[in-house]
Amino acid sequence: MEYRELVRSIPKPMRDPLSVKFMDILLEAKESDAIPSSVAKTILYYWQRDQLASEAGLTTLFKTVVEADPERAIGVIDDFGLEEIKLAISS
Amino acid sequence: MTSFGIEFVPMELFWRTTYYTIQAERLGYDSIWITDHFNNRNVYVSLTVIANYTDRIKLGPGVTNPYLVHPTMTAQSVASLNEVAPGRVICGIGAGDKTTLEMVGVEMKAPLRTVREAVEIIRRQIAREKGNYDGKVFSTTAGARFNFRANESIPIYIGAQGPQMLQLAGAIGDGALINASHPDDIERAVTLIRKGAEKKGRDPKEVDIAAYTSFSVAETEKKARKPVIPVVAYIVAGSPPFILEKHGIPVETAESIRSALANREWGAAFGAVNDTMIDAFAVCGSPEQCTEKIASLFKTGITHFVTGSPLGPNIRSSINLFGFEVLPHFKEHP
Repeated sequence: MEYRELVRSIPKPMRDPLSVKFMDILLEAKESDAIPSSVAKTILYYWQRDQLASEAGLTTLFKTVVEADPERAIGVIDDFGLEEIKLAISS
Repeated sequence: MTSFGIEFVPMELFWRTTYYTIQAERLGYDSIWITDHFNNRNVYVSLTVIANYTDRIKLGPGVTNPYLVHPTMTAQSVASLNEVAPGRVICGIGAGDKTTLEMVGVEMKAPLRTVREAVEIIRRQIAREKGNYDGKVFSTTAGARFNFRANESIPIYIGAQGPQMLQLAGAIGDGALINASHPDDIERAVTLIRKGAEKKGRDPKEVDIAAYTSFSVAETEKKARKPVIPVVAYIVAGSPPFILEKHGIPVETAESIRSALANREWGAAFGAVNDTMIDAFAVCGSPEQCTEKIASLFKTGITHFVTGSPLGPNIRSSINLFGFEVLPHFKEHP
């Protein structure tokens, strides 16, 4: 699955609130202990520059959140009405 | 001058604490304090990571103690951190928590003298002063100097609660961290800090006086109060009788909470915490209520307000609420 392509299909006005929801999942997820240090640093890099909703930032967040807590990730995607993306990550 | 700080307990993963500190810096907080307990992640590792991802905010241990960490090592740590975050390092030091020290078989002997000598050694080390230091608790030889330069002084804040430690903070501290949340307790503390400064011939205005509170903000008071219950249970359990009596809390109730906590009976311990205790030992509520309470604390003469644990039911949301709805009442965005 190409996460960047999926992110490109997300309407721009949705990207910021989506990044906030994804971040909430990572901050609350128990499995996030398993997030590799290098990925955590990448997320912090984008956060420091307020770029988590950018194409690159959201791609990193999206991939990480799906790996950390797929169920909640799908729930958020569903809440935003992103059906095609939901299908792509559910398959 | 009005400053705002935030405390983090490094129980969370390093990246999460760092995420919150970036958020706090962006919203206009002035200082970050990381607690120093052997059973949590290391304070200086936490601070170094944070220093690498922040640019403006001041940062330091809040607070370390000289019983578990020798002052030469504290001096080395803060001086090293100062290379990573030049001019941004602050150092909070206090006598520590008796219960935690007892866990590792360390007795809290002569706390006033120990803290005073520790502060003197930290300053001497950072300044690379020559000669011996011959204290009653600590001593160093002339050879104990750093092999590197710290370049600038690092403000030392003394964590204090009791009358004598508060006066010591006024006498020798660049700042004081008052371990209290109620306006009456803080007003009393400010008076003692100023008295300590004056007795030493200092202008009390030289001392940055911070209220280091248990804090929680949420959209509603009910949501904000819930997370402070465990924190308040520990504060009640550890408070001396005169403080409890002053707030109308029966000593026997505090004893029963202490006993329940010692036996890990969380339901009994937390269930015994009531509104009187929360009002005495925490600043919490909706943004409007917190704004009002903080304004009343600034009237006591403090110059710095620290939002300590637990911060709120959801840390990210609570930092946002504070930054967007409370801070603007007191200061302009940086």
